[in-house]
Amino acid sequence: MEFEFLPGRKLKNLTTEKIIMDNVQRISQVYIEAPWRKQLQYVGLFLLGVVLIAMVAFFYINVTARAAAIGRSIQLMQSEIEVIRRDIVDLETEMAELTSYSMMVNRAGGLGFYQVDPDEVIYLQVPGYQGRQPVSLGSSTAPPLPSASSLSPDYTQSLFEWLRERVFDPAAPLLEIEP
Amino acid sequence: MTKEYSWRYITLGLIFTALAAFIVLQMIRIQLSPQAKYFRDRGNSVSGYWKTFSPARGSIYDRNGHLMAGNKTVYEVGVDLTNPARNPTTIAMAANAVIGLDYDYVFGLVSQASSDKGIYRMIADFVTEEQKERLDELNDQMSIAYANSDDPDRPSLDGLQFRPHLQRSYPEERLAANLIGFVNREGRGFFGIEEQYNDLLAGEPQIMWVPSDPNKVEEFPNIPPGASLVLTIDRTIQSEMEAILDDALNDTGAESGTIAIMDPKTGEIIAMATTPRIDLNEYWRYGEVFVDPQMTYNNAISKSYESGSVFKVLTMSAAVDNKSVAPDTMFLDTGAFEIGGTVIRNWNGGAWGYQDMVGCIKHSLNVCLAWVASELGNGQFYKYMQAFGIGSLTGIELAGEVPGRLKQPGDNDWYEAELGTNSFGQGVSVTPVQMLMAVSSLANEGKMMTPRIVLSMKKDGREYRTQSQVAGMPISAETARVMSNMLAITVEVESYSNAVVEGYRIAGKTGTGEIPTPFGYTSNVTNASFVGWGPVDDPQFIVYVWLEKPMTSIWGSEVAAPVFREVVEHLVVLMNIPPDDIRMQLQNSN
Repeated sequence: MEFEFLPGRKLKNLTTEKIIMDNVQRISQVYIEAPWRKQLQYVGLFLLGVVLIAMVAFFYINVTARAAAIGRSIQLMQSEIEVIRRDIVDLETEMAELTSYSMMVNRAGGLGFYQVDPDEVIYLQVPGYQGRQPVSLGSSTAPPLPSASSLSPDYTQSLFEWLRERVFDPAAPLLEIEP
Repeated sequence: MTKEYSWRYITLGLIFTALAAFIVLQMIRIQLSPQAKYFRDRGNSVSGYWKTFSPARGSIYDRNGHLMAGNKTVYEVGVDLTNPARNPTTIAMAANAVIGLDYDYVFGLVSQASSDKGIYRMIADFVTEEQKERLDELNDQMSIAYANSDDPDRPSLDGLQFRPHLQRSYPEERLAANLIGFVNREGRGFFGIEEQYNDLLAGEPQIMWVPSDPNKVEEFPNIPPGASLVLTIDRTIQSEMEAILDDALNDTGAESGTIAIMDPKTGEIIAMATTPRIDLNEYWRYGEVFVDPQMTYNNAISKSYESGSVFKVLTMSAAVDNKSVAPDTMFLDTGAFEIGGTVIRNWNGGAWGYQDMVGCIKHSLNVCLAWVASELGNGQFYKYMQAFGIGSLTGIELAGEVPGRLKQPGDNDWYEAELGTNSFGQGVSVTPVQMLMAVSSLANEGKMMTPRIVLSMKKDGREYRTQSQVAGMPISAETARVMSNMLAITVEVESYSNAVVEGYRIAGKTGTGEIPTPFGYTSNVTNASFVGWGPVDDPQFIVYVWLEKPMTSIWGSEVAAPVFREVVEHLVVLMNIPPDDIRMQLQNSN
């Protein structure tokens, strides 16, 4: 150990700093000299990355799987809607065939009805009766449903699609502030 | 890690890095290679497909809501050529037995191997539900019978695919076929309503890319069906009129016929029966029925003819309205009247002596009417005829309407004598629907109504009602009343007894039109017509009857008038029109 000739207080401070420096140096040396600690750090960082990637992958796969399942259900329902619409049309036409004029005349004849002779007709006055009015097709129909295709992209696009849009279409953000 | 081992890790790292670099470079090379487009196309071809969403064609109803034209599901039948289990022999035999296809044709198609250009072959389209069910049944039976067979050539309908789509269907078959028209397999409407409103009925198809990836699924577009139409016709009345017309053709031996009925107050066509008619579900037989190119699909609108004496109604109306004559104006019929160098004679060649205008109409005197027209003069006569819509389209919403022909002074082929012949319906061609419109002015206080066939339209869930349109007011209300009265008296006389309907006061006029040929007019074949309306004090219908070339008699009073009477006898019951005396009682009791 070396000693320097310095006035009282200065000498004391210099000694303390040296001691601290020595300690730091010693601790550093200890860690530097222990390779397993360094490897542990790398392994820890690597595992941390793996865990993060796994979490992201898990969420991504989870969401994607659920979206795919729902998407498939939508596809099936769309097919079902088409089938139901065709069935409705078929049933309407079938009913019209079963109640066509010729069929009704035959059925009426089979039931014993016959065409009335003008002399047999009895006319009665029914107060308030306006006679047979033409059919109205409007009342029984609900207004058409809006198409979901009109949904904003905010509800349909994925994070990647949103990111890609922002990268390749710099003007896109401006659109959002339009009224 | 000691230095002696570190080179191994470095080498391994280099190998992996080189491998990764190689993969990246290979990806870039493929992306930039000439084959890149091929790969992209291959990828796109399985990533989804373009689908055409065709809306269901709008329906057509009669005024009471009975379906006249709808749709039904039919199938395109095809074969999946990638299916290794398909058996061309079985499929060809089944297609032959159930659908009636040629065995060799189907066998040839099904035997083809799949390739980049095709993995599916259509073998038939517009296969009915019943035929599909029969094929399904056969398939099920074979599957059960050969469930345990390992024979690769075992009978099987594997690979057969059905793709459903809609086809036009007409539940009433022939009923009102001439005014509805039909739709071919390409979805295009022909004739009548189907052609006139083709775009409206068909709707707007949309083509959309449908991704196979469920993650990219999008909702199908909500395509509304084509507009539906409600017609003014009543199917019961239409059917009765068609039956009466068919009987009339059988009884008279006429070549063709037309019965058209219109509400004179609204212009609504209540029925329009013409011959011949086809079963709209078998429209491809059109050529078998309409063998002559001169034949028209709907004579009521598409075939003009020289109507003969029914036209006198318009001539007399014009003269009365113009005050050239009055019902009590006297005329000395000498049996001949010379005009433009041509001598006009009566239908029987006789002279009828002194006649008032009622007598002229009652006896249908050509000489008298030619004189009436000459009293009107060229200018006024043709002005009135134009006002009645003669020579112009009526505007009825049916495809294929023709305007007829009204030659006028100034036309190259018009001569002074035309005024005389036109006055009694010769030398001027009209369609039945034109006459209905013109006569509606007499039955509706002078207001001439545009004939219309569409009562309302339903589109996107909303109903739109069409409105009656006044086409003009060619005569005054007073003239209309005078003419109705004159023509009611006309019907009541003995010569028109065939048109008298017991209990109802009807106004009407017969017509016997000679048919022009390249060699002049022929008198042995004629066009027999009758136009009438009633009840005279409150007209609710105008009936126009036209029989072309009747064989039993050439006279309208003998062949067309009885048809008119039969029509009205049915009509008053179907339209709930009580006899005049009962109607008056009911009105007085209010």
